[in-house]
Amino acid sequence: MADPLQQFEIKKIVPIQIGTFDLSFTNSSLWMLVAVGAAYWVLIAGTRQHALVPGRLQSVVELTYEFVAGMVRDNAGKEGLRYFPLVFTLFLFILMGNMLGMLPVPFGFTFTSHIIVTFTLAMGVFIGVTVLGFLLHGAHFLHFFVPQGAPKVMLPLLVPIEILSYCVRPISLSVRLFVNMMAGHTMMKVFAGFIVSLFSFYAVPAIAPFAVTVALTGFEFAVAFLQAYIFTVLTCIYLHDAIHMH
Amino acid sequence: MQRLLGCVFLTAFFFSMIVSAGGAAEPGGSALPQLDSRTYPSQIFWLVVSFGLLYWLLKTKAIPRIADILETRQDRINADLDRAARLRAEAEAALKEHDRIVAQAQAEAQRRLREAQDRIAAEFARHQAQLDADLARKLQDAEARIAAAKRAALNEITSAAVELVQLASKRLAGLEIGAEEARAAVRKAASGGT
Repeated sequence: MADPLQQFEIKKIVPIQIGTFDLSFTNSSLWMLVAVGAAYWVLIAGTRQHALVPGRLQSVVELTYEFVAGMVRDNAGKEGLRYFPLVFTLFLFILMGNMLGMLPVPFGFTFTSHIIVTFTLAMGVFIGVTVLGFLLHGAHFLHFFVPQGAPKVMLPLLVPIEILSYCVRPISLSVRLFVNMMAGHTMMKVFAGFIVSLFSFYAVPAIAPFAVTVALTGFEFAVAFLQAYIFTVLTCIYLHDAIHMH
Repeated sequence: MQRLLGCVFLTAFFFSMIVSAGGAAEPGGSALPQLDSRTYPSQIFWLVVSFGLLYWLLKTKAIPRIADILETRQDRINADLDRAARLRAEAEAALKEHDRIVAQAQAEAQRRLREAQDRIAAEFARHQAQLDADLARKLQDAEARIAAAKRAALNEITSAAVELVQLASKRLAGLEIGAEEARAAVRKAASGGT
């Protein structure tokens, strides 16, 4: 049976070494660029007609656009729409990463199943939102860590908890995405491996892991979308905190 | 501000680079490929490159295009709604004008009808008066003729009576009575004398 973790291996395609850093172009890098290309192609091809009454692809593009715009507006408010391009990029990049990882192609790879990728994205959101908060509110942003209406006696306890929960955000954000992608893909590979190993002995019972794999595949598509959505929606909520504080 | 947020990912990139540079020293080869810190610099680098590329493509190309399409549609819908509202207002104005014209025509008809009635009534009154005057004149004429005829008849009777008195006096008494005397006697007898 093939190692279910093999799919996460990073393979160098073009080795690049700059100083002490190994910046090789790998299968992960390739799929990131594919995700960029695919996202951009869909958007451009969908809007090529410039149709007043949208066709199928244009509807997809418009729905995605309005879905993310609505998400930003509902969660971060009207002021949050200034950062819409960034949120839209984030959503499309993660969604494409998750969805392309589901393609049954040779050398397929899900770059969002790597903690360092999701952590860098989450760190970017975290630092950006924090800097934005201080830029908009100055030192007043520190009041964010003081819960309103709490008894003064409790503050020495509550403020550290607030700060801790704030600082844990990038970890929860990145781990949620990474673990979901990794666990789902591992599960699929494990059950797919069962089909092969069972089939060589008893053909008929191999239907059971096959059925499970089919169900898991559908489930994984849902998770792929859902996790992109959750990451984006949480980004919007953090943006809201930075813009409006409470 | 927007540029700043874009730069923030670079900050995160360097931050993670430092973290990964620390980890790169220790030997990798963990069972889990995700924990092999030797691959971190490459992944972070290419993540930043591709994310930045996608951000740039979307910001400068795709989002303006989509926004333009949506805006054009919204403008078109608004224009159509405006036109519909304008046409509706025009229709209402036309209806009001129509009502006004109908009312005016009705008033005019009423006025003319009343005028005609008045004129007919006046004409009728005039004819009536004329007729009345005519009849009165004819009546007067007739009365005058009757009176003349009566007078003539009376004169005739008187002269006949005078002749009768003269003749009767001649035959019975043999008296020759003058016309004047006889006339006086007749008049006296006619007025109830002896």
